[in-house]
Amino acid sequence: MGGLNTSLYIGMQALEATQGALNATSNNIANSNTAGYTREVPQFTENASTFSSGLVYGGGVTLSGLQSVRDEVLNLQIQQQTSAQSSVDAQSSSLQQIQTYFSSNGSDVASAFSAFSSSLAQLSANPSSAAVQQGVISSGQNLARAFNSTANGLNNAQSAADGEVTQTVAQINTLSQQIAQLNGEVNQLTSSGKDGGTVQDQRDQLVQQLSGLTGISVSQSTDGEVITTGNGSVLVNGSQDFGLQTSTGANGFQEVLDSQGNDITTAIQGGQLGGAIQVRDQIVPGYLTQLNTLATQFGNAFNTAQAQGFDSNGNPGQNFFTVPATGAAAGISVAITDPALVAISSDGSAGSNGNVANLSATLTTALPSGQTAAQSYASLVFQVGNDTSSASTESSAIGQNLLALTNQQSTVSGVNIDEETTNLIRFQTAYEAAARIISTVQQLNTVTLDMGSGQSY
Amino acid sequence: MNTELHGMIATEVEDRNGKLGEYLEHLQSMALELERSMHAIAQHSLLPLEDSIANQQVLATRLSELANELSKPKRVENTDAPASGEEGLMENIRVAADRLHSLNQCYATLLKHSSHSIGLMVSLFRSYRGQMQEDPGTGLKQQTWSCQV
Repeated sequence: MGGLNTSLYIGMQALEATQGALNATSNNIANSNTAGYTREVPQFTENASTFSSGLVYGGGVTLSGLQSVRDEVLNLQIQQQTSAQSSVDAQSSSLQQIQTYFSSNGSDVASAFSAFSSSLAQLSANPSSAAVQQGVISSGQNLARAFNSTANGLNNAQSAADGEVTQTVAQINTLSQQIAQLNGEVNQLTSSGKDGGTVQDQRDQLVQQLSGLTGISVSQSTDGEVITTGNGSVLVNGSQDFGLQTSTGANGFQEVLDSQGNDITTAIQGGQLGGAIQVRDQIVPGYLTQLNTLATQFGNAFNTAQAQGFDSNGNPGQNFFTVPATGAAAGISVAITDPALVAISSDGSAGSNGNVANLSATLTTALPSGQTAAQSYASLVFQVGNDTSSASTESSAIGQNLLALTNQQSTVSGVNIDEETTNLIRFQTAYEAAARIISTVQQLNTVTLDMGSGQSY
Repeated sequence: MNTELHGMIATEVEDRNGKLGEYLEHLQSMALELERSMHAIAQHSLLPLEDSIANQQVLATRLSELANELSKPKRVENTDAPASGEEGLMENIRVAADRLHSLNQCYATLLKHSSHSIGLMVSLFRSYRGQMQEDPGTGLKQQTWSCQV
């Protein structure tokens, strides 16, 4: 019933509950700048009411706990966008490095083609000059070196991406271990009726970091979070983690294996790992193929033109370039060192420069690819530039999206100091008004006691 | 004259009893409002708290008026005056006043404690110099520091 003891009990509970609520607010403000902190709100349980003399008396409230404000769907979106951005960033970073190998610096392939063309023009004008003949060989060597250097740059970028695969897998395993451990702690806390908010915050932070390393899928089970890679390979199941492995594949690069030993390299999408694999297995090989094709087709075309003429010794022209069957760009070299071996003459007679036109035509005639050598190379440069620019634009777009999602998450889970302060000030104003009423009620008590004293006249 | 006086006294007694009844009801309502306020404070529910305090202000004003009127000396004709039933009402009022008094003490303690904590929090917030979080949306942006003042 609504007796005095009940009222006092309600008051005591109110004191405890208020203290808890203020502690939560205090904790919220203290962590307003803590990355990944999730705002906690006090949860109150209303006690049973009592009915007496036609009146309902409240039973007070109990602070049943603190609950973190989370939006799991939003978290999931952020994880996905983080994965996508990390992947694009990894690609963008590699592409920016790759772009430097294609930049016009005087020793790049385009400049070397131009210099080679000039040397052939000079040869046409001075076919008997040994110096000019030597110039053709030198510029041919520079062209070969430019191919070598660009190919080596691409190979280095590929090796760097391969190294990143190994490093990222190690980081994924470390994070998976930590997340599994925190899953266990969250389980323990929640099963004992405690709020695991802080531990969940830590876990969410690590899950987000993990999503930056590789594309993941997060679901809930009775044991806690289950985290899998995009293809479904389990990384974490409750308090257990399942590490990925790496193994050297037939191509010399690291394959990514799941805990069962299955090769999941091609299934990895997103995150730094996905980005590194994309660079290593798709982007760089694509550029290398085009560069190798250009080196092979141009080298063969020039050798064919050489074979059509005669050198200064009257012999049929021999191969000018050595073009390896595989890795042409990295291995192409000039086969001759003697200037006299340049097949200038079309008929073997001294002073003839009839074959120079054939040699020069290799630079202006379309190769089997359908484009001239310079056009083929320009296409490749354009593609590298375009890919670099696209990756940068995509990264920027995803970044904007991620920022919007993070802002939205802050609205849901973050601490709004203005809102908290406004509420506190309203509480303060209400308390001041209440204090005046308390004073009035105290005076009333004295008056009421006097009221029954039976003053009369 | 005696009949007239009897009539006046009877009216006065009736009026006084009416006021005592109203006073009792208001004391009980005030007690309920104090409980409601404590409940709202515990739940950190601003609107119910503000609503309850507004009710308390109305009740406190009316209770003060009634207390003033009821404290005035009453007219007594003689010992054989008709039974007014005032004693029974006064007993109920004393019980209600005691309960309200104790509740009021409890409420005062709660307010003192909570006001102190809120005061500290307000100081903390006002002295906060960290980076403010900008929430999206015009509605939330209206809650600025200047708006509080």
